[in-house]
Amino acid sequence: MHPFKMLSEYGPLLLEGAWLTIQLSGLALLIGALLAMPMSVARCSPRAWLSVPVRIYISFFRGTPMLAQLFLVYFGAGQFRHELQAVDLWWLFRDPFYCALLTFVLNTTAYQAELLRGGILGVPRGEVEAARAYGMSAWLRYRLIVMPHAYRIAFPALGNEVILLLKGSAIASVVTLFDLMGQTRAIFAKSFDFSIYLWAALLYLLITMVIVRIWRYLEKRINPHLQRRVIQAPKAVKTAVTATE
Amino acid sequence: MNSSVLNNEQMQAIEAPLIARDIHKSFGDFEVLKGISLTSRQHDVTAILGSSGSGKSTFLRCLNLLEVPDAGELIVHGQPVHIRHNRHGEAVPVDEKLVERIRARLGMVFQQFNLWSHMTVLENCMIGPLRVLKQPKAEVEERARYYLNKVGLDNRVDHYPSHLSGGQQQRAAIARALTMEPDVMLFDEPTSALDPELVGEVLLVMRKLAEEGRTMIVVTHEMAFAREVSSHVMFLHQGLVEEEGAPEKLFKQQESERFRQFLSTNF
Repeated sequence: MHPFKMLSEYGPLLLEGAWLTIQLSGLALLIGALLAMPMSVARCSPRAWLSVPVRIYISFFRGTPMLAQLFLVYFGAGQFRHELQAVDLWWLFRDPFYCALLTFVLNTTAYQAELLRGGILGVPRGEVEAARAYGMSAWLRYRLIVMPHAYRIAFPALGNEVILLLKGSAIASVVTLFDLMGQTRAIFAKSFDFSIYLWAALLYLLITMVIVRIWRYLEKRINPHLQRRVIQAPKAVKTAVTATE
Repeated sequence: MNSSVLNNEQMQAIEAPLIARDIHKSFGDFEVLKGISLTSRQHDVTAILGSSGSGKSTFLRCLNLLEVPDAGELIVHGQPVHIRHNRHGEAVPVDEKLVERIRARLGMVFQQFNLWSHMTVLENCMIGPLRVLKQPKAEVEERARYYLNKVGLDNRVDHYPSHLSGGQQQRAAIARALTMEPDVMLFDEPTSALDPELVGEVLLVMRKLAEEGRTMIVVTHEMAFAREVSSHVMFLHQGLVEEEGAPEKLFKQQESERFRQFLSTNF
């Protein structure tokens, strides 16, 4: 079949899959962002009982393949069906969407926490000291000085994580989910037309391009202090120029 | 007894907002401060001099507990700060909240300015009074603008620190300290990081503050400033006060040979 005919026939299905991909990774990234913030603070704590568990968690999820993590959740949970039913958590592990979501959340939280840790370590020390010297409590220091800096420093890397997770979410297709990759595989199985993979790749590319654009815009918005100041020419000079013309 | 009469402690708090007695501080095995005392009365301008490594900056940082003294007595606004040693042997304040309240009453100006780079100049001045002292916004903004005007930055209020020169940044930092309306202002070598041609504008602002009767403690290398502006001079050497007194007397005649040498190389 002609590639464009493939698109017109299966395009809606692909878009449906893309929407699931966006939902799945978007939700995981959002929940991950909420969890990563306190976790990164704990990771930087001088108290070992706070930082060591977080360090172990992060190194586990960064050090093992996400596919293995997904299998561990999706198939592993089945082994404990009775126990999970007993604590009323089976609904979560029975559903492949929730399994994938849980895996992605655990994974991206670890990555985001580590990126934020780098950000926290990069906060200018003098500014934190000034915050202390002005009587700010630890809470205020983190809220007003440390975290605003940490997010700005980690921001480009966090954008990278958004894209990585979005593409990584393709593995959801192996646990029966019809995300963009899942739909593509299903369509290929029906049509045996390779061009559908090309269209899927283009769709992934399109989504990541949009994310890159959004990220670039946001980065400018949150960093007004890093922009070069626009020096406006004084009006008097302008009129003088037009007068000589 | 008439309740409007202040008791001794309150009188002391007003007359001498900051008292430090026999302050000791070590970093590891190295004893940086070997017992330094300072009483800062209202309207005092204390200049602390000394070559690098004499402990002058450490002493200043002990006064607002950015470094916690190992031993000695610190009384800020009539309130003694109690120190304990944790299980690693580090000195820590007993009451962290008290320390935060004390710091809010002592305005600090740093060598490297340390303005919060993600906030505008006006925000830098307002955030402390708003969030630490919890004062109403309109009042804080009016005061911040007043002090920014005073240091000559009224046309830079919406700029970010990175868009200012060093001298402007340091003046903004002084306005930030002033907006807190502190009892005592601490200056940690405020002109040492500046280009020579920018030193003057900062010293001018500090001179104005001294003339207004602000209580100031200034660690500095600016001998002219110490001689002309301060009311009391302390010369530190290897963690001890080598010589101190009124500047008129001290700059004319020195008892300590070291101080004489210091002056001859630094003037």
